[in-house]
Amino acid sequence: MKRKVLVLVALAALLAAPAAFAGDETRWINVHVTENSSNTNVEVHLPLNLVLTVLRNVDVENFHGGHVDLDLDEDMDINFPEIIAAVKDAPDGKFVTVTSDEADVNVHKQGGTLFVTVNQKEDEMAKVEVTVPLELMDALSFGEENTLDVAALLQSLDSLPNGDLVTVTSNEANVRVWIE
Amino acid sequence: MSGQRGMSTLGAVLLAGTAGLLTATLMMDWMVVDVHVVEDDTPIHIKVPFPLVVADIAAGFIPDELLEEAVIPPEVKAQKELVLATVAALLDSPDTHLVKVRTEDANVDIFKEGDTLRILVDADDAVVRCNIPIDGVLAALENWDWKTVDPQMIFDVLHAAENGEFVTVATDDGVRVAIKMW
Repeated sequence: MKRKVLVLVALAALLAAPAAFAGDETRWINVHVTENSSNTNVEVHLPLNLVLTVLRNVDVENFHGGHVDLDLDEDMDINFPEIIAAVKDAPDGKFVTVTSDEADVNVHKQGGTLFVTVNQKEDEMAKVEVTVPLELMDALSFGEENTLDVAALLQSLDSLPNGDLVTVTSNEANVRVWIE
Repeated sequence: MSGQRGMSTLGAVLLAGTAGLLTATLMMDWMVVDVHVVEDDTPIHIKVPFPLVVADIAAGFIPDELLEEAVIPPEVKAQKELVLATVAALLDSPDTHLVKVRTEDANVDIFKEGDTLRILVDADDAVVRCNIPIDGVLAALENWDWKTVDPQMIFDVLHAAENGEFVTVATDDGVRVAIKMW
């Protein structure tokens, strides 16, 4: 009898667990930096809403209300929305491959995600991996005066699944930025 | 008969007065400053409890001229909206271990627990513990004019602090200063 009750309680707890966690929809931005030379380890774990609130209220030179001034030369006539649309519509495959004595750079698209990898061959021997889900590109909003809405970009992280955004490994330090 | 009634009234008044005093004492926010120092190998311990309301009244006697002399730079006021929004967002955030730093010289941890921001610093030469009431800080900043130094801000924060340790600083040379709320 006692065992039956315990089994029932355990089952009830198992069934109730997802419901209990369903209410917690906070998304977190995590940054983990380890510096090898000084044995320093920094971990930052911030709610996305907090980061967005700060970004939208910052008003300094080149950054206003979540918009960053791209500070492009007037001669440069870059149609960012068109470039983004072209990248989004392009089929999966390798876009850029650079091989040199200094570093190898690779940009490829696979399964709705753009991957940028840089393998440095000298100095810090850094290996950089940037993952750009293409849903993020929908949030790339450029203003008329060459501004980029960084806040909108971060806001779009809210709908992304958990995963790494940037990882850097090198002789000097390792950096990982991810969302969960 | 009347003498007996007089004594009984006096007793009742004394009892009511004592009860009232006790209730008022218990209802008031108290702050205890606890200082340990070592001077010439002799440990000295000073413990000063006082009601916040007294400190609050005392702060009212600080001459206005002194406070007006300490002018806050306009750059600070320019960040008012940012600071208020950040503190409000932090208050609304779920509890978490916000920051964790480990170095060879020091460890730093910042937690958000309820309305309190807990800051823990363990350095080679000092240990600091700080429990900041985020709601108190927000109230203080909202009530502040962002132009002059306002001692009332300190009391807004202290009144909102939870009972127990507010700030503790302990250095490796034996000095320990603690401010506790009660």
